[in-house]
Amino acid sequence: MPLSYDYDESSETWPFFLLTLLCVVLIPLTIAQLYALLKSENSEKATRQKSPLDELDERYTSAKMIDFQKKFSNKRSKLTSKRTIFVVVGWAIVALLVNKIGGNEAIKEAASSLFDPYELLGIATSATEKEVKSAYRKLSVKFHPDKLSKDLTEQQRLDMEEQYVLITKAYKALTDELTRENFLRYGHPDGPQATSHGIALPKFLVNSSGSPLVIISYIAMLGFILPFFVSRWWSRTQSFTKKGIHVKSASYFADRLFNFKPSQVVTVDMIIKWLSHAEEFKIFYPNLTPSVFESLLHDHLNRSSSSDLEDVKLRIVAKTHSLLFGLLDIATSFRNLEITNVTLDTFKSIVQATPSGPYSQILQLPNVNQKAFLEGAVDDIRTLGKLFTFDDKKIGKILGIDDEGKLKDTLTVASQIPHLKIVRAEFKVPGEPVVTPSSTPHIVLKVMVRSARHKFFTPNKIPDEMCSEPQDFDSLRDPFASTLEQPVIPETFAPYFPVKRTGSWCCIVVLQKDGKVIQTPMITNRLSFVNLSKDFDKRKVKDVDSEFDPKEWEVGTIKIPFSQPAPPQKGDYFFRVIVKNTDYFGADLDITMPMSVRDPPHIETLENEYGDINSEDEEDTEFEEDSNDELDDDDSDYTDIDTDTDVDEEDEKQ
Amino acid sequence: MSLVYDVNTKQIQLPEASDDMAMNIAQINKLTQDLIAESNPNFTPKPRDDSTAMIKKLFENGLKQTKQQHFPEALKSISLAIEMAQRKRTPWEAFAIQLQELQFMVKNRIDLCLIQGKFMDALQDIELLQNTGVNTSDVFIRKTDALIKLKQYELAKVECERGLSLDPTNVKLKALLLENTRKLAEYNGDI
Amino acid sequence: MSFNGTNFNETFGGETESTVEMKSVSFYTPLIYVSVLVISLITFASHYRKKTIKELTELPSIFDESDARDLYFQLKQMKELDNVKVHDKVIKAALLNRGAEAIRRSLKLKESEPQITLLYKNGSVGEDYWKRYQNEVKLVDLEFKETLQEAEMMQPGWAQLFVAVCKEICFNQALKRRYQAELARKEIFTEQWHLKFDDNGKLIE
Repeated sequence: MPLSYDYDESSETWPFFLLTLLCVVLIPLTIAQLYALLKSENSEKATRQKSPLDELDERYTSAKMIDFQKKFSNKRSKLTSKRTIFVVVGWAIVALLVNKIGGNEAIKEAASSLFDPYELLGIATSATEKEVKSAYRKLSVKFHPDKLSKDLTEQQRLDMEEQYVLITKAYKALTDELTRENFLRYGHPDGPQATSHGIALPKFLVNSSGSPLVIISYIAMLGFILPFFVSRWWSRTQSFTKKGIHVKSASYFADRLFNFKPSQVVTVDMIIKWLSHAEEFKIFYPNLTPSVFESLLHDHLNRSSSSDLEDVKLRIVAKTHSLLFGLLDIATSFRNLEITNVTLDTFKSIVQATPSGPYSQILQLPNVNQKAFLEGAVDDIRTLGKLFTFDDKKIGKILGIDDEGKLKDTLTVASQIPHLKIVRAEFKVPGEPVVTPSSTPHIVLKVMVRSARHKFFTPNKIPDEMCSEPQDFDSLRDPFASTLEQPVIPETFAPYFPVKRTGSWCCIVVLQKDGKVIQTPMITNRLSFVNLSKDFDKRKVKDVDSEFDPKEWEVGTIKIPFSQPAPPQKGDYFFRVIVKNTDYFGADLDITMPMSVRDPPHIETLENEYGDINSEDEEDTEFEEDSNDELDDDDSDYTDIDTDTDVDEEDEKQ
Repeated sequence: MSLVYDVNTKQIQLPEASDDMAMNIAQINKLTQDLIAESNPNFTPKPRDDSTAMIKKLFENGLKQTKQQHFPEALKSISLAIEMAQRKRTPWEAFAIQLQELQFMVKNRIDLCLIQGKFMDALQDIELLQNTGVNTSDVFIRKTDALIKLKQYELAKVECERGLSLDPTNVKLKALLLENTRKLAEYNGDI
Repeated sequence: MSFNGTNFNETFGGETESTVEMKSVSFYTPLIYVSVLVISLITFASHYRKKTIKELTELPSIFDESDARDLYFQLKQMKELDNVKVHDKVIKAALLNRGAEAIRRSLKLKESEPQITLLYKNGSVGEDYWKRYQNEVKLVDLEFKETLQEAEMMQPGWAQLFVAVCKEICFNQALKRRYQAELARKEIFTEQWHLKFDDNGKLIE
């Protein structure tokens, strides 16, 4: 018999359908919204360090900048966002539906026609078999047709009979095997009941007037709305690279890098020219040309006003952050060291709104009178370290600052700029004491964050215990987890940058053999700045040895993953590690470190063991030892040549 | 594009050409000149002996003057020799020979420049050598020296360390590293 | 199976209804439907293919300019069409320059290949750049072959020597460019480092 499809004439099923649909969407959404609401103030902000520069930054930010920040920051209040409205409306509809279901007679009837044996026998659902039997006996006595009294009406008699049959069935459903099976499977002791298939659509939609509406809405959904959203999502994902810059900007940068002539000198102006062609700028302001953007960026560097284009300038400057990181990624992939370095210099220039030059370390400070400084200088002061060799009053004269309060601010900023000093640097293979051939090493840098004000002390003053790494199983499994225990660095002092920001250090690894970058940069923003508040002033400390106590200083760790395995030959390979700060001038580190690839030590102990075997085998063992020694010697004599050919081959392949 | 061709000199010109275009035009003009002087249509990359002789004469002149301690004149002679090589040699003569010739002459010019205190000129010549593949320690020694004299201590440190990584036992480089570290410490106010 | 026409058991009665509706559909309806579908798919496919080919040809080159090639064709045109008395050796020079440039480009593409592949795999650069790169490799190859053909036409039997000579020219031109850039570099560094030199090139403190 063909199954007939009933439409939902009595509104029995479509409310449930709609309810389910809404709940599936609403419940996760509500949870997510609540979580986001409560979480918004925590996490990173909690672990970020406070710094005296925070308050200074507030003070030095101009009113115009604050206006700009208010206008363009993500000020969507969580409470009024579209999502929250949708959630609230959704729950209102759910409440309505529940109400409707509750008031719907047909549903109640359908529900009541369910077979509940416990209810029929009048016992609790947890009744034992004994209780079931006794309840049945009692009731069957009452309702058995033979036991009924004579003065009941025909109707009443029939009702009693029905009741008796039901009670019998209930008893059977709970005791008799077959019946119980039926009951469990079909919900009714008599076996499968009538099942009707229906379509959960309310009546008015299915009527001849409503049905074209339903069809049209289906066609619209499947044929137009869904493809539209999918294609929009797809093109959005396609137009941005993994680094977050527009695909056209990335292509432009790749073009510039590909066509870069080695005889050209890279300058900050060149990078700015490249930045001005970014697609993101074009999208923001379709009417402006790249040369306008270029001049705006130069205006920003020179801290000059751009009259009516001021907002444009601030917006594009804020965007340079992601563009520069994208360019950095492309430059390191093209292995170009000069462009990588100048890109990072450009980053600093833009953040501090100071042109890149020999005096940038000084000019990045607030309140500096540029003219007075450049023209009046007796000594050639280019670094903050040199500046701090003079006493405060003299510094005020050098920088051309007359006001005491302003001088104090400037000195605070100058002493809070982090300088990195290398304490230890090595290649480490987790679990091995040396770097073995073809292993996967990573770079561990132990650095001291110090202020320009601090007196210099040599790295060997820091004892080895302070520089040791934990050797437990977890650190072997994931050596980079320990660096995440360091706090996030404080906000940068950058009153001219449109957005509040934390800087970071970019770690670039260069192969000394060919002078080219070998991997994309590692970005880190976790280091403790506790040392900066220490008062180890170089103008006051007379004797370093007696006054320096290494325990009071915090040693920071930077771990850089290494993208290639160690070479298979033993020998010394040199790498240059450049750790450049994105926000401050003078906060960089540039060192050369060797990777000493040696045999794993247990091979040597095995050789020793062989040497201990008795003299009968002496000839053999001597021979073995000798041959091992010979091989070692061979390797060390010819190591240089081997390494040359190895790396040469790599070069040729490239 | 309004390319102008001069029938007499057989050179082409383009007013207001971009840098790349101007470069290509200059290259074509040089090739034209050399082709006209070359009678053999099947010319080979073999270097011409008369050019070699001329260049060598000028260069040896310079060496002689160096021995006599007449440094400014020696510098002039060697610069002249280099210019002669640039002018006389055709682009199709063997690259290996031309490169070696240039590198050898430039090496001598570097030393003369350094002696006379022309550090920037020396630096540019040194960078030319490095870009064309000369990575020996004496190049790094000279570059570090030039950079220190030009007060670029951070760059000098980079070059010195690179030199030492390619030749770890070089005494002069180690000495330069120490000197540079001291100058850097003073530059950074660490003394 | 049931003997009274019902498929199910019931405790208290039940109703069955069976009304089967027949709808008349024309014979041609499925044919029309299928044909409409197939035709629209075919037109869409051909339209799409044409569009992708057009896009490919309009992609800009990876290289900034194609001056060497343009100059050669311009000179040829000047000689053949505009009746300017361009000497043969000038055309030869332009061809040699073009050949040297083609060699430079193919070497440059080859040496950048691992880097561009890395960029594409990392997702740092979009699909369009990768397409352009692959296009360029083919185009440069084609360009060099064309140049060889022209050389052969100009001087029969010259092709092999032409290649050897072009290689030398390519490297020597690069060396000359690098040497001639020295002056410009001097100026940039002098300005960057805030240095002053006297006429002899000696540093002024």
